[in-house]
This record gives sequence, structure tokens and C-alpha cells, in this order.
Amino acid sequence: MSANAGLLVGCAFWFLAHGSSWVAAEEPGHRQAKVVEPLIEPMIPDTPQSSNPTAPQDSPGSGLSLFLSNGCGACHTIRGTEACGTIGPDLSHVGSRSAIGAGVLPNTEEAFARFVARPDLFKPGVKMPAFDMLPQTEIQTIARYLKALQ
Amino acid sequence: MTPGSRAEFGTASSNATAEEDAVRVANQPMMIRVKHAVFGAIGLPVVLLLGAWIGFFNVGASSGHWKVTAWFLQLAMRSAVRTYALAVDAPKTLDRRGLPAAAGHFARGCAICHGAPGELRSPAVLRMLPQPPDLALTVGDWTDAQLFRIVKHGIRFTGMPAWPARDRDDEVWAMVAFLRELPKLNPNEYRALAFNGSDATGSDRQPATPDVLSDCTRCHGGDGEGRSEAVPALAGQKEAYLLASLQGYAKGDRTSGFMALPVTGIAPDEMAALARYFAMLPPASGEHDQIPAAVINSGRQIAEAGIPERNVPACDGCHIGSDKNPIYPRLDGQHAAYLEQQLKLFRSESRGGTPFWRIMATAAQRLTDDDIRAVSAYFSKPAEDAQQPP
Repeated sequence: MSANAGLLVGCAFWFLAHGSSWVAAEEPGHRQAKVVEPLIEPMIPDTPQSSNPTAPQDSPGSGLSLFLSNGCGACHTIRGTEACGTIGPDLSHVGSRSAIGAGVLPNTEEAFARFVARPDLFKPGVKMPAFDMLPQTEIQTIARYLKALQ
Repeated sequence: MTPGSRAEFGTASSNATAEEDAVRVANQPMMIRVKHAVFGAIGLPVVLLLGAWIGFFNVGASSGHWKVTAWFLQLAMRSAVRTYALAVDAPKTLDRRGLPAAAGHFARGCAICHGAPGELRSPAVLRMLPQPPDLALTVGDWTDAQLFRIVKHGIRFTGMPAWPARDRDDEVWAMVAFLRELPKLNPNEYRALAFNGSDATGSDRQPATPDVLSDCTRCHGGDGEGRSEAVPALAGQKEAYLLASLQGYAKGDRTSGFMALPVTGIAPDEMAALARYFAMLPPASGEHDQIPAAVINSGRQIAEAGIPERNVPACDGCHIGSDKNPIYPRLDGQHAAYLEQQLKLFRSESRGGTPFWRIMATAAQRLTDDDIRAVSAYFSKPAEDAQQPP
């Protein structure tokens, strides 16, 4: 009981501190996000997401710009960015999921990288094509970006 | 040896009894036949092999085949082409959109042996065995399906090569369409069809290697717009994509008989220069076939939003916008017929090119023929806005 209360208080504090910019970042053209309540108190790292909500297209080579330039946004939505595809899962908060790849991979940066490179190895019949032709460094950058989407 | 002497002995002997004679006469022919068969089965191949080994058979082309050999080879060749062509599914009318590319390929690859309007064949070619036919005279002997069979698979023992690219029946049919035209062409018409646009005038930008450039402009045009609907426009295309495509052709990752010949022997720095040259040309102003607005609108829908219920992502997600991966080609202003053909090749996993081809194949496999026609038509209209400045 007290643990739950602590969690609620923690969430409230976090929302006061970060929530306003977070909502603003999701606003353009999209409905309000259904907040997936994090299992642990989320720690927002220094992600581009919260730094400048009006210009999500940040520096070339960043995780988001690689995500968009390689066409991931044609299938996936990340609210507050150009990515508004509906074929694949909404990734707006993918970094806070308990597991990824239909539950077969832990939610870690390394797992994201492995899934992006060869999704078919983890999820037979997956609709997503493999992106293992991308340089490993770019896959790592995208993985870091996805993990940071809390 | 033994049967012969026995036979002589048998006929010469008058002392032997009639019964013995009858037995011998009955047995002898059978013995001779068996021995001949044994000799034929074992001895003849040995004799032929021996003959070949000591160099008895003349392989020189100067004296021609024996009449019987020539007759047999002709018979076997014509019959085989006729029979195997039965399995070829020929279109009712040949697509003429590939004529300029086919003519350019003919001039580069075929004319040296088969002749061309207004061009004398080399005396060396005329001493080949068999002598390659002058196609302007002989092409009427064959049906479309038979020509397809010959162009695609070549002919053994004649020097006629198979088509240098797998899975490119579209190119082979373009060749057949050109061969049908060939007898009707006078020298000027032929040169106009095969070479027009080879001079890269009208542009002050010259790449490092004009010789190689004329091989490109023969089909893609001096302005880089593509000399027919089936040939891609290169003007204003992304440089990284053009270079990756050239490298893909050179390595065989992307197959095309039309591209295989000119791309052979281009040095890496020349490839980079050519990619830069065509990327810098101003993109198409656009003159295209009349396409119904409904088709274009349906194509626009696919391009901008995809077909989510069939898991087709929006084309624009990768192909529109200057911030996209530079190896993803721009499609706006591209010829519809070319786009259609490439999408179908992607769909059958017959088109490689850049390392990203499988992403496109995945998307194309979810498209119907109608989708492909619509989206190709949509992109073929000239770029309205400067989404991607060249």
C-alpha cells in the first residue's frame, strides 16, 4: 500500500516536472497519448524528445533523424514527430514496455538493436523487413533512441 | 577372323555331313551379327575417341561443316527452337516502349555479328562457322515466341549467347519488338533509333569520361530524361542512389542485359563522375501519357498514406523529402512504365541493386497490378513542388 502510494507520488512529481513539455511534444496532429504507466519510476534521460518539442527533426545522425530518414515512420508512429505510420506498433513509449518483439526480448538497448537488424529471427512472420544492411553504428543509435522513448 | 575362316571352311568342305552343314549355316549369321553389335558398341566409340585424340577431326572453320553435319545441326537447331518455343507465352502485341533501349543494345552488342541497316559486316564475322545470319533478312523466318526463345537462351555450338541477365524477360521482349522493326528500318531510321541522343550537347557540364558517357546517353538521352518510357530518367536523381545502382549492375546485384554491357569496364572513379553528372542535370519537365485522374488519385493515396489494411507503407515515407536516406531514389517525375516494371521485378524478388532492396520487395509483394499501375502513374507526373531540389 505504501509502495503504491510512493509510486503515485513519484509519478505525480515526475509529471509536474516533465509532463507539460511531454504533452506539448505529442500534440501536433495527434490524439492525446494513452499513458502507459511505467512499472518503475521513469527516469527521463537527455533525449531529443523533451529538449525541443517544436522541431523534432534534430541534428543529422541522431536517432530520430536516422529513424525518419530510413523510412521507419512509414509504418510506425512516434507522437510529436513526422512518424505517423499505422502498420507497425506505435513506438511513442516503446522504451517503457516490459518487453519487446511480442514479449520475446527484454526491453534493453541491445535487444532493440538486434530486433531492428533481424526482426524475423525473434518474431516469425513479422511484417517488418530486416534492416541489417544499415551500419551497426546507425542501428545502435536508433536503438538508443527507441530505448529512451519512455 | 574366326567366323570368316569358319565360313570358308564350311563352304569349301564337301566331306562334312549334310547335318553338320545345316547346323553351321543356321548358327553362323547369328554369330556374325552379335559380334558386329559388340564391335559397334565398344569398338566404334573407342575408334572415335582415338580419332579425336590423335587430332583426326578438323575443327577449323575455314572449310565449313561436312554437308551431313551442317544438315543435321540445322535440323536439330530449328526443331529445338520450334519445340521449346511452344512453352513461351507470347503477348498478342509487342510492347514498343522499349524500342530505343533495344535498338541501342542491338547496336552495341548484336550488330557486330548480325549486321545493321547501312553497316557492312566485318570480313572476320563472315568467316565465322556458322556464319551469323543477317537478321534483317532472316528474322521473318521465326515467330515472336521463337525469337524470344533464341534471344533469351542463345544457341549452342553457334556462338549465339544467352541473354546476359536472369529474370529480365521484359528486356528480351523489347529485343523481339525491335527485331520485328529491323527489316523495315533504313539506315537513317536505324541510326536515329539506336544512337539519337548519344551526343551530350546542350550541357556545359561534362563528366571526366565522355566516351563512357555516350554509352549512357544512347538510352538515357543527352538530357538524362530517358529516351523512352521504359528507360529511367536519371536527371536530378540522387547521386548516392545512381552510384549504388551502377555498382549494383557491375557486381551483378542488379540484373539487366541492357545495363550489363555498358557497365562493364567502367572504373570506380568514372562511375562516381557519371553519378554526379546525371544527378546535377535538371530533372524532367515532364511530358507523359494521358492518365485518368481517378488512377492518379488512387496512386496518390498509396504514395501518401499507403494501404494500411494490406500492410503497404506510404511510399513517401522513404522516397519523398530531402532528409531521407540518400540511397533511396526519388520517384517524382520518373517514367510510369519504368516504375511499373521495377515494382514487378521487386515483387518477384528479381531486382536487387542497393543493399536496401529487400525492404522494397517486402512492400511490393503487398501490391496488386492495379496498385502498381496507379502509384507508378502518380509518380510519373512532373514534380509540382520543389520537395526535393536537385
